[in-house]
Amino acid sequence: MGRTGLIMKHFTTRIVLLNLSLASLHAEKLAVEKDELKFGFIKLTDCAPIVIAKEKGFFEDEGLQVEVTAQSNWKVLLDNVITGNLDGAHMLSGQPIAATIGIGTEAHIVTAYTLDLNGNAITVSNSIWEQMQENDPDLDTDTPEHPISAAALKPIAEELLAEGKKLQMGMVFPVSTHNYELRYWLAGAGIHPGFYSKTDIAGRTDAQVELSVTPPPQMPATLEAGTISGYCVGEPWNQQAVVKGIGVPVTTNYDIWKNNPEKVFGVTKKWADENPNTHIAVVKALLRAGKWLDETDASGKLVNREEACRILSQPNYVGADFDVIRNSMTGTFVFQKTDVRDLPDFNVFFKHDCTYPWYSDGVWFLTQMRRWGQITEPKSASWYAETARKIYLPEVYKKAAAMLLEEGQLTEEELTKTSDGYKAPTRDFIDGREYDGRKPVEYLNSFEIGIKDDPSLAEK
Amino acid sequence: MNIKYPLLKAIDVSGLTFLSPVVRLISGEEPAKQLRDIGRFIVVPIIAFLVFLWLWAVIAPKHRTKAGEVPTPSVVWDASGGVWQFHKRETLKESGYQLTGEARVAALEEAKTRLGELDALEVKAKAQLETAEAASKETFERAVGPAKSAYETANNAARDSRRARIESLKTMAAAVNPQDEQARADYLTAVKQADQETAADKLKVDALKVAYTEAQNIALPKVKNARSALTKLAEERQFLTKYIDMLSDNSREKKVSDSKEKLAEASAAYAAAKPGGDLYKLAGNVLKRQELLTTIENSQYAKPWTLPKQIVRSLLCVFTGFMLASLIAIPLGILCGLSPTFMAAVTPFIALFKPVSPLVWLPIIMIIVGGFMPDPENHWLLNAFEKIPLIKNFKIDPMFLSSAITVALCSLWATLVNTALGVGSIDKDHMNVARVLRLNFGARLFKIIIPTALPLIFAGLRISLGVGWMVLVAAEILSTSEGIGKFVNDMYTNGSSQSFAQMFVVVFIVGIIGMLLDRIMVLFQRLVSFDTAPAL
Repeated sequence: MGRTGLIMKHFTTRIVLLNLSLASLHAEKLAVEKDELKFGFIKLTDCAPIVIAKEKGFFEDEGLQVEVTAQSNWKVLLDNVITGNLDGAHMLSGQPIAATIGIGTEAHIVTAYTLDLNGNAITVSNSIWEQMQENDPDLDTDTPEHPISAAALKPIAEELLAEGKKLQMGMVFPVSTHNYELRYWLAGAGIHPGFYSKTDIAGRTDAQVELSVTPPPQMPATLEAGTISGYCVGEPWNQQAVVKGIGVPVTTNYDIWKNNPEKVFGVTKKWADENPNTHIAVVKALLRAGKWLDETDASGKLVNREEACRILSQPNYVGADFDVIRNSMTGTFVFQKTDVRDLPDFNVFFKHDCTYPWYSDGVWFLTQMRRWGQITEPKSASWYAETARKIYLPEVYKKAAAMLLEEGQLTEEELTKTSDGYKAPTRDFIDGREYDGRKPVEYLNSFEIGIKDDPSLAEK
Repeated sequence: MNIKYPLLKAIDVSGLTFLSPVVRLISGEEPAKQLRDIGRFIVVPIIAFLVFLWLWAVIAPKHRTKAGEVPTPSVVWDASGGVWQFHKRETLKESGYQLTGEARVAALEEAKTRLGELDALEVKAKAQLETAEAASKETFERAVGPAKSAYETANNAARDSRRARIESLKTMAAAVNPQDEQARADYLTAVKQADQETAADKLKVDALKVAYTEAQNIALPKVKNARSALTKLAEERQFLTKYIDMLSDNSREKKVSDSKEKLAEASAAYAAAKPGGDLYKLAGNVLKRQELLTTIENSQYAKPWTLPKQIVRSLLCVFTGFMLASLIAIPLGILCGLSPTFMAAVTPFIALFKPVSPLVWLPIIMIIVGGFMPDPENHWLLNAFEKIPLIKNFKIDPMFLSSAITVALCSLWATLVNTALGVGSIDKDHMNVARVLRLNFGARLFKIIIPTALPLIFAGLRISLGVGWMVLVAAEILSTSEGIGKFVNDMYTNGSSQSFAQMFVVVFIVGIIGMLLDRIMVLFQRLVSFDTAPAL
């Protein structure tokens, strides 16, 4: 029986049941193929939907017993999903895409759910921050004006280059959002972050600033040790730098690209095919968790975040101190001890159609992979669209959302309305460049720094 | 005293020789000598340990890093309490989920009472925190205020004088005649001097900034304590809320009864149905309900791994690896001992592979093991482990096997070499006697070779187990296989204020377990050695 067959069977059973006992308002459970699941995550606050769905019993409501285990880095996490040690995991948006098209470990990974938007920041060491302040006196206040571009960093990088050294910065994974955001930020100010190529898989060809991979939890220690002078990472690792007094977050990815997709819930294609109902049940639980996390009271205050921080601070989840997690999760962000700002959208788990698996998000990552040479061959516009379709599964999401609507867990207004899975073109980037997911080749060619392709590919 | 000699023998065999003066003293044998021995072997080590604790408590607070403070013994002790509490709470949740009937109601009542008590406690703790914060705010401002104003004044002054210097240099530049060599040189000196002054100013400002930042970082102990008291209460509330949920709405009993109700409904519908198309669907529905009920009846709370269980899994892993190593190393070692040619053939491999670090073996083995188990869920070996009672609780997965094999690969060399040595050094006369008696190979092996080589084999095994235990923690950190290593890695990555202390807890746990393992191997070694074999 195919996927639709099972779903149809489920729906008909429901109708029959409803006819028989109208008194039972309790929603029917999906016939899940597998009820004991193991999900992996990295110790970052944006794993929250998975943790909350477990702790608040949303998984249990779907008849799932879920074990949630921390993984030491993104590579191990991906390998564990591929080998089947994990059923699914908290993944970087770029990971399913890269795995599917064969950058790094090749495996067909799919996603039906975006866990969150935004949530990263770029932190530089104290000494780099001081030098940036020297280069741009406007920054030399307790509350400098945002967004801060990398322009003040350029002279520092150039000075080091003249000495035959290169500024070192850290990001978490070659195909991570952080890598592309850091590159976007640097390149926006004319600093070349280096190309990848078939022979240079570290991505340092032509680089003016060298980027290297460091696991998120080790970022502050690596920064303190002086191995790197700055990094782009998710929370709580920027706040840790502030609390420990070893660095200054200069910009958040909300400034680099407003409401950018950050993490997704990834599973293998094989798992998704074998467990269609389980997949829907998981997405349902995650949707409820996302909604819970973004619930606000009449004044717009996030009401459940304190509790979420408390849960996340447990040692088996994120494990950082409650106060550190709270700094960024409750609608504020601490840039310096003297500079605490309201940033209500720093972590978005449900608002702004966050949870929907947008094709246009996938295409953006593909354009960046091509821009920096991780995709070594020129690709046509239709290839971008097809690849996104292979990885993002809005059908699963739509089924889950429809069921939640029927159960009264979601309202009509909360559902994402889209005809083709592409977000409207937007200029919400730090450099104001327009991005339209339907025109990947034109977008790619609009950058000053980066690989450009034959414009005729746009028509193919 | 006829118990004395067996007791002394037992002490000797177990290697706990520091106890023998006590036994001798009790039996009245040379009291002066025994007291001296007790002093040397029991009192001195205890004093040394106490000195160590004292030094630790004195030195630790003096070393502050930005990543956290080095914990003092009391902080480590507290942390071990925290680790234990996490375990206790998770175990409570697990058992709470399965409680039924009155036991469940009683537990629920107890939890609710405690939750009620928490309200009052939290109010009190909050009030305390507020008073402490208000008090500390004053002290804080007194400490930070001057540092801040000093820094700001100095910074502004430095900036102003720098600008003034630049301005004056610019005005000076207008008067310099570029043709005049002397004037050019003078101007250069002036610029250089100005630069030096700026640099000197910057140094002063930097020092003040450091003082300012440091002043900011002072966390007053009273506030710290009040805050941690509040955190503890909030954590307890978090736990109780979840626990109560698992005892009431989300308890297995409740879920089973709900599911039974649904099954009864479905069965009733099936029984009442008229012949026709609906019957097929209704029958399917009943079956589905039955299946769901069995699933729920067998469901378990997905409990996170806690340190005690991780320790047991680590022990299981190290024994698996150790057994594997012994199974390979002992037969190979015997062959090496018996045949110099074979030994010559094997020597290069021993020399080559022995120094390889576990951190190199592990990734290679992970890939190989992963290759054999493309679908771990349905692999026969893992399914076989699933069927063994007790062991199935520890979820044997490819990562576990990789870690165990890494342990084996790193630890087999000591056994191999020692076995070869033991077998190679068998007295020629023994072998000649065997030849005269015309013993076949099997009899020679089991009657002469192995018994003679046994003490050395066990000496090798003892080293192997020690190496294996050390390798294991590294392997677990790298493979994220559940165990002590995973715990350490998790704590390290947590980076919370407790992390450091929790890692220290692990140091002691690993040390104590390693010591016990070593003692056990010593015991075996003594038991098989002829010279000190017990007369039992």
